[in-house]
This record gives sequence, structure tokens and C-alpha cells, in this order.
Amino acid sequence: MNKLLIAVSTLGLIAAGGTGVAFAADVSKAPSKKITVFYPGASGMEWILKGTLHGGAKGIKKGESCVGCHVDEKTGNEEAPDIGNKIVAGEKSKDMALEPEPIMGKPGSIPVTVQAAHDADNLYLRFTWKNTGFSSGKKMDADNPIKLAVMLEEPGKVEYDTVGGCWPTCHNDVRTMPGVKDDKKTKYVVGGNLAAGKYFDIFQYKSGKGQKPNDGYIADKRVMDGGKALLDAKGELKGDTWTVTFTRKLAGGEGDVKLETGKTYNFGFAIHDDYTHGRYHYVSLGYKLGLDDPKAEINAVKQ
Amino acid sequence: MSDTQNSSKGWCTALCKPSGRYSLLTLLLGGFVAGIIVWGGFNTAMEATNQLEFCIGCHEMKDNVYQEYKKTIHYSNRSGVRAICSDCHVPKDYAHKMMRKIQASKEVWSKITGTIDTKEKFEAKRLELAQREWARMKDSDSRECRNCHSFEGMDLDKQKQRSRKNHEMAQKEGKTCIDCHKGIAHQRPKGMPEEDEE
Repeated sequence: MNKLLIAVSTLGLIAAGGTGVAFAADVSKAPSKKITVFYPGASGMEWILKGTLHGGAKGIKKGESCVGCHVDEKTGNEEAPDIGNKIVAGEKSKDMALEPEPIMGKPGSIPVTVQAAHDADNLYLRFTWKNTGFSSGKKMDADNPIKLAVMLEEPGKVEYDTVGGCWPTCHNDVRTMPGVKDDKKTKYVVGGNLAAGKYFDIFQYKSGKGQKPNDGYIADKRVMDGGKALLDAKGELKGDTWTVTFTRKLAGGEGDVKLETGKTYNFGFAIHDDYTHGRYHYVSLGYKLGLDDPKAEINAVKQ
Repeated sequence: MSDTQNSSKGWCTALCKPSGRYSLLTLLLGGFVAGIIVWGGFNTAMEATNQLEFCIGCHEMKDNVYQEYKKTIHYSNRSGVRAICSDCHVPKDYAHKMMRKIQASKEVWSKITGTIDTKEKFEAKRLELAQREWARMKDSDSRECRNCHSFEGMDLDKQKQRSRKNHEMAQKEGKTCIDCHKGIAHQRPKGMPEEDEE
């Protein structure tokens, strides 16, 4: 009987291997990187590029990234907490407040632990952070207490993508921004063209009951579905810690950035807490994501 | 010949004639002492116009730019070194200082005619005034800034990342202080053109 069981089990394992069934990578064991997301107020791309308002505009126009100036390359210290605190409190910078309506008590930033791994088919991302517990009482998106969105882009396609992160998609005339004329106008990239590869890939986890994750892209406008890459997005609040994980195919379809080893990709993410939407989120600066690339700021290691 | 003509001819004759009354030594000493008094007095008076109290003696300065400057690091900082108005706006060397003072005499006329004697008038003229001063600083390669600051004296490793990056870039491109540091001691003018930040 025992011999029969062993034989059946062995056959089963061989069959599984033969049909390509593999165990998913355990992203919780991947190396981690701390990235502080901060409250950006209304600092859209137009503000970023305006030298009279943003001292870094000169550098950006010469190809410098946000991280190049706002994260100390020697110590790793991030300016994000200071920047977030000032903006959320409505403090002026160069005579302009980036948050015209300061939000009392809202934390200016959240430190997030980011982990990435991949296997032959998929990319796995894991984000953990301490729940802010902040409640403004306003429920802009009543269905979702928390959302986490990730954007990816193949460098060199979108104008000013060297700035990194999600900024090339954020403009002064989109909804919730100060220069909005059409409150249905969503994020876009200048010269956005899906066929020409001028787009940002976006996928999002939403914490509301029964809410499905989004997988879309941002070209001339934001399209939040139709993507073929996102396989799964899960999130849970355990104690005071949120954990969100994504499983995404390395290659999807139209609007999904194809991830390959030997290349790096623009990577940014944003967290909406307190039932917020639009610009009322926390954002990361832009980082480079690579597969098995120790030089990449976020290195997805193969498991 | 009129009395006036006779009188000036008399003065000229008196000034040109050798003195029969005073010795050469007396004249030399008298001239030396008079020189010290006149020259010293002139310089003392000119230096008095370099004092902070003199600059804010006019309400135009006291109510506007002085109030803004008081909130900046050039007024109050951990080491207690203070740069007052003249440190930034008046050259230290004599020739340039004199030229600046002569230019500044025009400001007396503006004071008399009240070109910026109200908050509204000051704000309306702020950009023009600032641009004039930025141009002067740029022309002199930010000479007054460099009386205290220099690239050679900077330890970039002790600076924040973005300061280090910008200073490295500025040195490489031959930029001068005022190219980037506009509005560090006073409010930046509303409607400041983007090319002023290029």
C-alpha cells in the first residue's frame, strides 16, 4: 500500500513538473526597500517644470530625476517627509501653497516597505505600511478606504519621463487639480499614444468590499481596464499594518509594459487613504524597477 | 564792468597769488587738516548711508522689503552673522561703491515724488525694481554675494543633496549666484517671467 502511495505521489509530481506547474514566488521573502510616499498637493507636471515655482525645474529640463535631488545618494535620506508635512499644512514655497486647503491632522507622509520578486512568468510586488488611521470625515470615494496604484513605463517614450514616477501623467487641468475645467478629465501624458508606446501602465488595488482591481493604462486619457497583465491584487489590514500584493504577468497585452531582464522601467506608486480620490493621495518619487538587476532601485529578484 | 565780475576776478587773483600772510608750512598743515575733515566727513557720511538704520529710515523700505528680509537666513541664523542691506546692495570697493551711490541718488528723486510710497505702488513696481537689481548683480558676477560666499569655500559634501547637485551644475555651466538665488531675501515679484529663472 505504502509503495503504491509513493509511486502515485511521484507520478503526480512528475506530471506537475511536466505540465509546467510552478509554485509562485514568495515576495514576502524578497529584499525590501523603504520608500516614503508623501502628500503632493497640487504639484502637477506644470508646477514641476516652472522654475519660478520649483527650483528643481532647471535640473528636470536637463534630464535630472526627482530622486536625484530629493534623496541623498550618500545617506539615503529622503526629503519626502519634510516636503509632505509642508504641503499638507499649506505652507508656502516660493509664495505659493501647493495645498490651497490645508488638511489638519493628516500625516504628510507614510514610510512604505516595497518588495519585488519574479519568476519565469510573473512579477510580484508587495507593499506594507502602518495604517495612518486618519479620518477627515469626508468620503470622496465612499467605497474604498484604501487604494494603492502602481505605474510602470518604458523609459524614453514619454516626454520628461526622466523625472520619474507618475508625474508625467499629472497635470494642472485634470480633475481635482486647481486648473480643472472639465471635472471628468483624467490623467494623461503629453503626446500620449498607445500604439507608439507613449503611455504609462497602471494597475490598482482597491480595499472596498467586492471591489475589483483595475488594470489599465494612461495615454491621451486614463483607461482603467482592459489590461491583460494583472492576475491578482490582494490587500489586508492586520493589526495596524496594511499589506498589498500584486501578481502581474511579465508580458500582458496592449497597454501593459512588457518586463524583460536587462532593462529598467520607470516605477511609481500612490496610496489613497481616508476614502480619498484624485490628487488627495500619497505618492512616491520615481524609481527604476529591474529584474535581477542589483543596480535597479527596486530589484525584483528571481525565485 | 559790473560788481559781480569785479568780485570773481578778485577771488581768482587771491587764489592764484602766493600768500604773503601765511607760511608754506601753515598752508600745508591747514590743507592737510582740512583734507582730513572734508574727506573723512564725506566718507563718514557715505558710510552712514550704508547702515541698516539709514536704509529703513524710509517707510518704503521699512514696511516692505525690510519686513520680508527679517524672515530670512540673512537676517537671523544659528551663527549670528548678519548681512544687512548694503552688504548685498552696495559694492565694497571704492570705485564701484561711488558709482552705485551716484546711481542711488536717483532714488532720492523717487522718494520726493513718491513713486513707491504706498503698498500698492510698491507692489506695482516690485518686478521692475527687482529686475534692475538682478541685472546689476548678474553683471558683476554676483560680486556682493561673493564677498562672503565662494564655490572654492563650499564643502559640497556637507550640503543637502539638491544643493550639492545644483551647485555642481552651476559650476559646470559657469552660472552666477543670482541666476538661481532670486528672492532669497525678499518676496519674489508677482508675475515674474519664467525667463528670469532660466
